[in-house]
Amino acid sequence: MKGIGGLAALSMSGATIAEAEDVLNDSVPSDPHTLDTYRSIVDAIVPRTPQLESELGPEHVPGGLDVELEKFLVWDFNHFQEIRAEMVTEKGLLDGPSDAEMPLEMFESVLDLTNLGGLFGPDSPLDAVLNLADLDLLDLDLGLDDDALEEALTFGPVERYDISFADDVASSSGPAAFELLVETANETTHQVVQNYPYAPAFTLVFDIVAAEFIARGENEDAIKRDRSKFPAGGTFVQLSPEDRLRCLWTIVDGGAIDRLDDLLSPLVPDVGILKYVVMAVNGLHGFGYYTEWSGLGETKTNNPTERSLSTPAGEVQSRQQSGYPGPADGYAANWRHAVDGGFADPDVEELNLPSNLEGDDVIEGIGGGT
Amino acid sequence: MNDPDVVIVGAGADGPATAWKLAHDHGIDVLLLEGGPWHGNEQWPKPHADSGGTISTDPDDLDGKLLDEQFTHREADANDPTYGYLRVGPADHSRAPWFRNLHQNAFIWQVGAVGGTSLHYFSNHPRGYPTAFNDQPHWPIDYEELVPYYQLNEELTSTQQAPMTAKEEVFIEGADALYPLIESKNVTETGWRPQANAVEVPGRETATGEPLDADYEGSFSYDDGFRGDTLVGDHFQGSSTPVDAPVRDKARKSSNVGYVPRALDTNKSSEQGNVALRPNAYVTDIQTKEGAGTLEATGVTFRDSWSGQSQTVTADTVVLAGGCIETPRLWLNAGLPDDGWVGKGLTTHWFDWIVGVYDDETVADINPEVEHMDPYVGQNSAVRFDKPGVGGMEDIGMSPGLVSYADYLFSQAGYSFDTEVDPSEPWDTRGYVVGEELKRRMSNYKQTKALLILTDDLPRQSNGVSLDNTFSDEHGPVPKVKWEPHPDDDAKRDELSRIAANIHKEAGADHVHRCDWPPLLLHMQSSMRMGEVLDENAEAKNVNRLFVADHSAMANGVGGPNPTNSGQALALRTADKIAERYF
Repeated sequence: MKGIGGLAALSMSGATIAEAEDVLNDSVPSDPHTLDTYRSIVDAIVPRTPQLESELGPEHVPGGLDVELEKFLVWDFNHFQEIRAEMVTEKGLLDGPSDAEMPLEMFESVLDLTNLGGLFGPDSPLDAVLNLADLDLLDLDLGLDDDALEEALTFGPVERYDISFADDVASSSGPAAFELLVETANETTHQVVQNYPYAPAFTLVFDIVAAEFIARGENEDAIKRDRSKFPAGGTFVQLSPEDRLRCLWTIVDGGAIDRLDDLLSPLVPDVGILKYVVMAVNGLHGFGYYTEWSGLGETKTNNPTERSLSTPAGEVQSRQQSGYPGPADGYAANWRHAVDGGFADPDVEELNLPSNLEGDDVIEGIGGGT
Repeated sequence: MNDPDVVIVGAGADGPATAWKLAHDHGIDVLLLEGGPWHGNEQWPKPHADSGGTISTDPDDLDGKLLDEQFTHREADANDPTYGYLRVGPADHSRAPWFRNLHQNAFIWQVGAVGGTSLHYFSNHPRGYPTAFNDQPHWPIDYEELVPYYQLNEELTSTQQAPMTAKEEVFIEGADALYPLIESKNVTETGWRPQANAVEVPGRETATGEPLDADYEGSFSYDDGFRGDTLVGDHFQGSSTPVDAPVRDKARKSSNVGYVPRALDTNKSSEQGNVALRPNAYVTDIQTKEGAGTLEATGVTFRDSWSGQSQTVTADTVVLAGGCIETPRLWLNAGLPDDGWVGKGLTTHWFDWIVGVYDDETVADINPEVEHMDPYVGQNSAVRFDKPGVGGMEDIGMSPGLVSYADYLFSQAGYSFDTEVDPSEPWDTRGYVVGEELKRRMSNYKQTKALLILTDDLPRQSNGVSLDNTFSDEHGPVPKVKWEPHPDDDAKRDELSRIAANIHKEAGADHVHRCDWPPLLLHMQSSMRMGEVLDENAEAKNVNRLFVADHSAMANGVGGPNPTNSGQALALRTADKIAERYF
């Protein structure tokens, strides 16, 4: 899904409801940076494997990108959390927010990368992130060379990322829609989506985490700056496939989100969920690639009631690779009972349980020999 | 049903069992409120797209063919908690699921619908280990007291020993060489046994009158005469086989099959109470009044998830059965007293997953008549190992989307290409498997099986559910969930993992992989436990006429065995206690 041509010049303030509805119906709203970032993860986890052809057969060559698995990841993250307008509040109301209300600013964010290097704009992408976080480089205490971080960080062709509520939440209720605008030098992607658009927000996070990963020298393979495979990606796609995964793992097990909390906070409503997100980034390859999802043709990102298979469940690419024939009504198979006559089950009066019910000793058992 | 005697919050595994017992045995009128949708009911022909009816009291509303249509058995359609029809969220599938805030590499796997998470399970119904009742001081009741309720529950859910097919024979090859066969339902010693499963016997009757075996060539349709289990391993997708069967005659007795029809049947008897079930009704508040020196529950307020309208119903007794997350969340959002244990003490069996890949010759030696284990043939989990005091494990075969996730894409150990394996451990690899190696392993799907470790993890106050201070949904602050293992739990899990790897190797596995799972919150228990929040009757210590009848009432994880049988047995007992005390 590329930028929507007819809306290329649309400004945030100029969006009409009708135009907003048009883009709301877009099944996988995505800007190129988002798609290419997820494509780089799909390629790391389920790559094309021509090297397996001679050993396992030609059906084992294609990978996740051949079935556009990145769309499954984007759909899932963009349907991850509904934000209710009636639960959002403007700050500064006289009576203050209640415990249940969420401040509006938590969900709105503008990362402005235009005019890089100049008096009227940020010097660098890191500078733009610092502006967004209202921080100075001196406020950061990352224990690394700030210049290295600045050198490493890029969001690729992204010049402006702007996320805001599509409606006036103070006067509306129900599931809130968000407007998302991603501008690059050549195209503008404008979407209105119901639910918080996490998919693009996470990809900016991954670029920042990747920049820190590189600045710390944790990458094991050389970085590749030409980005020829994923041209709209940022720092993250410059990493080798294995380094991309090592980089994601620093979110779970490397303290990355604790160190980068101040930088990341303006980009996602709750930095704490990022460990869960890394679980999902990996796991969605199982829920997407190794299921029948790719057989759903044009309906693959529809609601469940509107999906239909264009390729039989047992014949999709991944099922040819696994040999699973797809769901069946039953199987003719041999079976037996292991306990002749069924389990013994005395009445409670005749239970006669042993007097010592402490269970087998866990300490003695360690080692697995018992 | 404007004036029920009892209102039950949640129609998952346990709520319908409670409702049936109250109405059937005690003549009590019950209103069951369920936040999620109802599948296989004519009142809701398109439950995810249209609001449909309001309430159902007639067992004739149940339609098995409609259930077949809605449960497509397709993996992505069913299993993805965001994308799938089995999820925790509003019935309206144009909306996102209900959010839970989880700051961990972890996964919560539940279903919000009539039938609850029992829609999404392998139907394993072992009893808890007697040791978990008798030797831990926080269990307020004896094992013996629960045995008659286990027996009743097993009768109603067709619980019996599971069938052994090719994949189980491979497990038995390894386990039987090392451990004895257990032939009792009351497990006090270490050994292996067939699962006790709430699934009817395979091919109890077949369409041709011939037995169900490899030579069977008949139909699996109920309309053609097939009764019982059809040996398909799609239980996690909802399992509506035999196709065409009425809801109550589906082989696997998830609570929408085993209990809901029975509960509605009470409406046809003048001697019994009435049961009404309203889906799409999310309870947001518990009404109370000051009683004699203590609070007393008087009803609940619920919100219709389609219209957004709220309504209050009064009842003599309120029963919470929303599960280990939603029950404490509701309690806390209702502002009821918290003495420090509400939502705490959550146990989850601290799972792990040990994968064995076998070569064709090894499997053919064990099963001369078949070439593969074919993990999709037979029940998902039909044989197990028990070690009271430590936990247990079960043999698993599933469809490949689930296998790729569970075997290779869910870990706390990092990526296997960077994860060293201690040469003294009995597994060959550990951690996430990705890239070429993932595709290579999945090419062996038909000769791959896993053993699920179920640890006897104990309740700890630091684990559980609280109200989130960041996000709210239409029901108030969302639940914040946290679970981390204690070193003792890790030690038990390590031991069971070694036993599992040894069983694989004894059976001849070519390669053994330890996933080292992060927390999977699937067998959730004990977050509102008896002995702390509840008394020995499962009534709230601080609020009269308020009971808990779901797995959160269990005082621990019953030692490791799958919790459904114990949760339902306890709920049946709680129904008797409610009737004794208040009716």
